[in-house]
Amino acid sequence: MLAVTIFVCMFIPLSILSEFLFIEPFVIFHVVEDRIASFVLITSISLMSAIVIPMNIYRIITLQKSTTKIGGSIVGSIIGASAGICSCGPIGFSIISTFGTVAGTTTAFLTNYEIPLRLVSLGLLCLVYYTTIRSISVECKTQ
Amino acid sequence: MNKRAIVSITFVVLVVVVAISFSSYQSNLLEMHDKTKYLEKIAAKTASPLINLENGSPVLGSHVAPITIVEFGDYQCEACYYWFHNTRSTLIDNYIETGKAKLVFVDLPFLGRDSPRAAQASYCAEDQEKYWEYHTMLYTFQDGHPDSGWADRDRLNSFAFSLDMNVDEFNDCMDSSKYAKRVKANYDEAVKNDVQQTPTFIIISQDGTTEKFAGAQPYSVFAATIEPML
Repeated sequence: MLAVTIFVCMFIPLSILSEFLFIEPFVIFHVVEDRIASFVLITSISLMSAIVIPMNIYRIITLQKSTTKIGGSIVGSIIGASAGICSCGPIGFSIISTFGTVAGTTTAFLTNYEIPLRLVSLGLLCLVYYTTIRSISVECKTQ
Repeated sequence: MNKRAIVSITFVVLVVVVAISFSSYQSNLLEMHDKTKYLEKIAAKTASPLINLENGSPVLGSHVAPITIVEFGDYQCEACYYWFHNTRSTLIDNYIETGKAKLVFVDLPFLGRDSPRAAQASYCAEDQEKYWEYHTMLYTFQDGHPDSGWADRDRLNSFAFSLDMNVDEFNDCMDSSKYAKRVKANYDEAVKNDVQQTPTFIIISQDGTTEKFAGAQPYSVFAATIEPML
């Protein structure tokens, strides 16, 4: 249930902000051919976040372990979510209108390196997944 | 605060966010299926005589076309690029060339220092009656990376040269910044109309009703919006 919640929470807003899902004037899903890579990446990041975050919540609740790994997974999710979404959208417009040149440079960076940043995010989530699986196996055996 | 409390709070926040997102999504979904309600919504919208298009692009299409499509865009906007290459040509074939609609481009240059410069260059091209050719050139060579140099002064000159424009005249126009105020006026017009992203479209029917939506939306959305207005 938590995994589904996290997936929906990430996938729908990211799809809207990345302009794959439009809700006005009609609800419509639209992925153009040259943006398939971007769509696959946001789907993968949402999916990995939905797997990794509940696993770490389980570790914290059941095994009373540290919150370090969930921090890593949340950082990974945030990097993936923020990359690329700020370009022409309302968030980018608000940030640039309010903060000017510095914000413009930051959003340009997020736009220019959208794919590499999302790959880094995905890598971080995969790493957290791997270490979590290992630690859960060890911790469950110990207990 | 113990770990259980942190996890519980996180979970509650996530559930609230999902509930809000889902209710918004659901209401739009229901609205889409209720065409009557949607048409009523269009009819209820008041005319927008306040949209000032005199500083925008030259009109593409017939001046007497019943529908006016206003595009607010930035030449450095990647979403505008996708709309230009995936939707615009079908819209032109089916509505502009058939005389049902006309298109006006209004600049909202906010993405970087090259954005207003590119917009000014388009009006310098208009002086030589090459506005739409130059507009097409900009969206053809945009690389999706704001201020990466694809629309710096040298490139803008090279675009003018490629279009067989008088480059000296183009240079004089750019040096004088004669269209800086026009571009700023377009920006202000966009802000006045509550445009907050690019591309944003305002479709205006003959009786003055308007429909505004944002993003690089597919052709089907334009068709579904324009048809009831005809």
